[in-house]
Amino acid sequence: MSRRRTTVYWTGFCVILALLIMAPLVLPEFWRRFLTEILIWGLLAMSSDILIGYTGMVSFGHSAFFGLGIYGAAAALLSVSPPSLLLALLSGLVAAAAAAAFVAYFSTRLRDIYFAITTLIFSQIFYVIIFTWTEVTGGENGLTFSRPPLAIPGLFSLRFAPNTLHWFVLAVVVLSYLLLRRITQSPFGMVLQSIRENEARTRAVGYPVERYKMVAVMLSGLFAGLAGVLYALQNQFAAPDFVFFLVSGEVVIFNVIGGIGTLVGPIVGAAFFLLLREGLSRFFTEYYLIFVGLIFIAMVIFLPQGLLGFARRWLNH
Amino acid sequence: MSAALGLERIGAESMPRAASLLSTEDLTVRFGGLTALNRVNFAVEHGEVRAIIGPNGAGKSTFFNCLTGVLRPSSGHIRFDGEDITGASPDRISRKGIARSYQITNILPNATTLENTRIAAQSRRHGWSLLTHHRAYRDIIEKAEEALEAVGLRGKAGELAANLSHGEQRNLEIGIALATEPQLLCLDEPTAGMSAAETHDTMELVRRIAKNLTILIVEHDMQVVMELAQRITVLHYGEILAEGTPSEIQQNPRVLEVYLKT
Ligand SMILES: Nc1ncnc2c1ncn2[C@@H]1O[C@H](COP(=O)(O)OP(=O)(O)OP(=O)(O)O)[C@@H](O)[C@H]1O
Ligand SMILES: [Mg+2]
Repeated sequence: MSRRRTTVYWTGFCVILALLIMAPLVLPEFWRRFLTEILIWGLLAMSSDILIGYTGMVSFGHSAFFGLGIYGAAAALLSVSPPSLLLALLSGLVAAAAAAAFVAYFSTRLRDIYFAITTLIFSQIFYVIIFTWTEVTGGENGLTFSRPPLAIPGLFSLRFAPNTLHWFVLAVVVLSYLLLRRITQSPFGMVLQSIRENEARTRAVGYPVERYKMVAVMLSGLFAGLAGVLYALQNQFAAPDFVFFLVSGEVVIFNVIGGIGTLVGPIVGAAFFLLLREGLSRFFTEYYLIFVGLIFIAMVIFLPQGLLGFARRWLNH
Repeated sequence: MSAALGLERIGAESMPRAASLLSTEDLTVRFGGLTALNRVNFAVEHGEVRAIIGPNGAGKSTFFNCLTGVLRPSSGHIRFDGEDITGASPDRISRKGIARSYQITNILPNATTLENTRIAAQSRRHGWSLLTHHRAYRDIIEKAEEALEAVGLRGKAGELAANLSHGEQRNLEIGIALATEPQLLCLDEPTAGMSAAETHDTMELVRRIAKNLTILIVEHDMQVVMELAQRITVLHYGEILAEGTPSEIQQNPRVLEVYLKT
């Protein structure tokens, strides 16, 4: 990036961050919650961009990693009293990472559509397990639990007020974004992009491509799990619906709408999609999905690089 | 001490092949009913420039595919630098020190010229670094720039590889291979599709890099081959038809019959 573009980037970053920090002070409760959810879904979409946009692997397994993040957090919150935020985080991340390691091991040998299908099948297996193992997961009804305090043991403990929760989610999402951005710019990230561009050549210059893909899937799953933990904190319930493959499909849609390979794009895509669904469902009740679908198709045809790609080209002119 | 040295010498004499940088033993590749390589016994010494010639479909590219792990031979063995590398994966073979350029240009078209050699140079160091910006690793960038310099593309470092001319892309192909710091470089028709002037320049380039490397080169232009290589191996229907110095090959009646007369 040139000097000027770096300045523009960080100015934009700070302005948007400031707006997101101040938003809950002015937004009504409904829209504050809505914004917090956009951030959480945005993080989930961003985690999947590591695979779709940077490595060139389309995952339909992100509902599983997200769901295991939720259920992992739920397990910690239900089994330890008083509930601990750190344990919930740890448990959710471990569950998601374990699922991701499992899926990665079997799926990364396969390419393109075969990879996508394998991740989809594995996520459905997790869905079936969670749906049927009623004693532990609550089955169809899911689990409800209470929110832990925002605490670091021995330092401080704070009850989550609605605004604090928003800021906590914002902090986690922004830090995740900065971390993922750095990873995509690291030598490791360069290898992922090289795999996307030309897998055979990347292998031929000495990279064990399968191992890189495996780590990419695990990293991606870890951040998806983090989104799951945030979701658990926000909504205080876990349900098998979140593990269902439709969620994975939506994540892919967020990416495509927003612009893959940009990290920010998927968040924009999530915001756009969720707002669109909210707006259309008010007017068209149950038929709103038809319109969502039509708009999605139109966007894929007319904005193939997503909203962000479109905005970039428009700004450059 | 001297006894030990003596033993070593005897050992070395009883295994003359161990000295070769690369050798194959009865290397055979079958594609269904077609035998693309048939019991090929081949050896290259350290520092040699060896040309491999042969008519279309002789098995030259198939031979390179075996050496670089893209194809697993149906039978036979490949030894490189004292180790059996038969059936090893392409990435392991690359890290062992064999690099290759492709007959059909095989680069990262959407990356810049420098990024192409940078990713190759990086494969030897820092590949698993996740939290440092890639630009912080000056050593990688220097290696990548050296490789571009060696193939005359230093001035095009920032250019998108897809926007280079065909001849420049062919040279970038060699630059990527060089950036992996190989011991053995396999060039598969590096001048394919080049003009006479470009061919001349590329051959100069190969001559320059040959000073520090062992090179295997597949090339159709006989003039070029004769000037460049110390020894020539002629493949014909997957078998070694002849092997020798350029002048020996030029006078070999079997070679003249199947190849040079065309
Ligand atoms: N993957 C493959 N599957 C089936 N047959 C193959 C395959 N690769 C090569 N062949 C066949 O093997 C034979 C040797 O091919 P190869 O590409 O090695 O020839 P070559 O000497 O490189 O020829 P050229 O000068 O045209 O590049 C040819 O008959 C070719 O059709
Ligand atoms: Mg060939």
